[in-house]
Amino acid sequence: MQTFLGLVSVLIVFVWLGGKQVFPLQPICDLRVLDHFVREARDSVVIMRGSRGGCGAMKSYFVPLTSVDFAFWEHIDVQELAVEVQTGLSLLVQALSTAMKAVSNSRLANALDNNISNIHSLSQILHSLDLQHARSTVLPDDSAPASTQTQEVSSLPELLQVQSSFLRGKVRLLLSAAPACQRQNS
Amino acid sequence: MTKMSDRLKIVFMLCLAFVTTGGQHFESKVAQLLQDETEDIKCFVELKDLTCFWEEEEERNNLQYTFTYSYENKNKMACVVSSLSLLASNKTVFFCKLPKTPFFTTLDVQVFRDGRMLYSRSLNAENYLFLDPPRNLTVLSSGKEGQLNVSWLPPLLKYMDDSMIYEVRYAVEGSNMGKVEVIKVSTMLVLLGLQSDTRYKVWVRVKPDGVAYKGYWSAWTEPVLGVTQPSDLDPLIMVLVLFIGLILCLLSMTVILSHHKFLLKKLWPDIPTPEHKFPGLFTVCKGDFKEWMSQNNSSMWGRSVQVYTEELPSPLEVLSEVSLTSHGTSQREERKPVEEDEEKESERSDSGLTDRWREPPQAHWLMEQLRALQENPQSLSQSLLVQSHDTYVTLNQNSQGDGEREVDDVFEETLPLQTLFTTTGTTSLSTSHSDLGSLQQSSGSGRLSSQSSFEYPNQTWPPKGPGYTYMAVADSGVSMDYSPMSSSRITELGRHRMYTNDYKNEIFLHKWPLFGEHNKSGSESCMGPVW
Repeated sequence: MQTFLGLVSVLIVFVWLGGKQVFPLQPICDLRVLDHFVREARDSVVIMRGSRGGCGAMKSYFVPLTSVDFAFWEHIDVQELAVEVQTGLSLLVQALSTAMKAVSNSRLANALDNNISNIHSLSQILHSLDLQHARSTVLPDDSAPASTQTQEVSSLPELLQVQSSFLRGKVRLLLSAAPACQRQNS
Repeated sequence: MTKMSDRLKIVFMLCLAFVTTGGQHFESKVAQLLQDETEDIKCFVELKDLTCFWEEEEERNNLQYTFTYSYENKNKMACVVSSLSLLASNKTVFFCKLPKTPFFTTLDVQVFRDGRMLYSRSLNAENYLFLDPPRNLTVLSSGKEGQLNVSWLPPLLKYMDDSMIYEVRYAVEGSNMGKVEVIKVSTMLVLLGLQSDTRYKVWVRVKPDGVAYKGYWSAWTEPVLGVTQPSDLDPLIMVLVLFIGLILCLLSMTVILSHHKFLLKKLWPDIPTPEHKFPGLFTVCKGDFKEWMSQNNSSMWGRSVQVYTEELPSPLEVLSEVSLTSHGTSQREERKPVEEDEEKESERSDSGLTDRWREPPQAHWLMEQLRALQENPQSLSQSLLVQSHDTYVTLNQNSQGDGEREVDDVFEETLPLQTLFTTTGTTSLSTSHSDLGSLQQSSGSGRLSSQSSFEYPNQTWPPKGPGYTYMAVADSGVSMDYSPMSSSRITELGRHRMYTNDYKNEIFLHKWPLFGEHNKSGSESCMGPVW
């Protein structure tokens, strides 16, 4: 995990230094990175189940929709999907940050913090895929929750479940369907 | 019309084919989950469609059931319930296939019968994938021994190729003991450590890896046969050959080691040296023969004679022993060891003086024999003639004393004569010694010949008295003839000079003036006291 984070951090540094992309960034198409993040999201669920008062305060969180229709996959609009993913990731970051403040268990709090870092890394990975519309929606936007692509959950377990589903579903689909990665695979 | 009917027929056939193919897999999956799954309402995803089914024992109509599902806070949606009769287990199953199954979201499924909720379940569809078995399984023999190349194609599912895990099972054809290999993502595998020239059956199945997608193990593919390459060298034969080779090596080594001295002699024979005959010649005198000779002055005669005898062997002695077979077994028994010695000595007659004379006890026996001879002279002659090979004469050339045995062969042979002389007194002994001394010198010229000469130039031979028996021995080289001498003849002998008897190399060269009847034969007289 440490090495993964290290690599991703180096990548982030490059991207930050690159600024307006002086040189093209190499796309990160390895799905094992995403799988790593998925596993850590699952670890949070396990920790939460094991800790007392893990549920935390009953709060409502606005989280993205996670459902993926395979039929939809046959006719994927990558750009639209990219927008969806970026919006969803930002929503998740907000929700997780809010939840982390309310959690008393330090271990759970650390896990949640880890999840937040992972989502930030994911954003950078998506940026490396050169998805034009992705950048515009990185910033958290209050208007985003108004779209139909959000849902409301009332507890931390549900929030973590949504995070896991979102990562495994839409984010993964986007990474596997991204043109930059398709070029590499083909 | 015909075209339309044809098209319809084709479509119908395709639909049937699709249904049947789907049905085959579907039915088997349903049957399998019916056994394995513990939930009341069992759900699985096949080809991106979620199917939930439940078993009903009583005779029911599918229309009695209502199936609803919802997700993401949306409204409930209904699904059409169908029934399926399982041929294998003869059971009836009601199921519903969700169209456009949403993944990565929580689905709430409910089953109602006659308005009452029968089953309810919340699940994420992506966690219940029930994949089809891998396609196009091929097993090929690789170039190497004991290896098989196995390859297959993943089930048809988009974007899931990298989320699959495979299990390869292989076993010898006909055997139930199989091994399993797990492989991730990759769709080919090389089986190692197999038996040579053996037919193997291979199966493969697939399952989602559990990170992004989860699910059940698929059914095994149909077994595919593969044959491994025959081995170049049968390991059993190799082992046997090595074992036999090892045994042969050990045997040969054992034989060589046990007979290594013999073999060494054969292959690398020792250079013979005469060192054992000349003690001290090479070690002390360092090969200087003259020096060695001077060192061994005292025993020179014997040595020289010994040396010469190597070159010119000739018989030497005429013994003074009497064989008396008629005088009982005791004497015979006494003779026997002597006979043995004599036989040995006769065998070694070529070596002349090198023969060894044994012990004074035999001299003692000799005296007894002579005594017996005196009593029975006639028998002596006969017996002597018969066993002439047993008799011999020792020429005592010992100037040293009696009883010395450290000197070599010749002197020991002369012992009995010494003893003979000693009994008579010291005077005769001294007399004889002096004679012998002269004799010694006369033969000190270095001739090999068994030259023996008695010279009594200035002395008479005193008859020793009635206790002595004198006997003449005639040695023709072929046989020896012994005859007793009367005392008168002895006195004659004493007056006359006794001639030397030369046994050079030719036996026939000799002179014996005393006995006319013994012509051309060497003979010597000797005397021995008998008491």
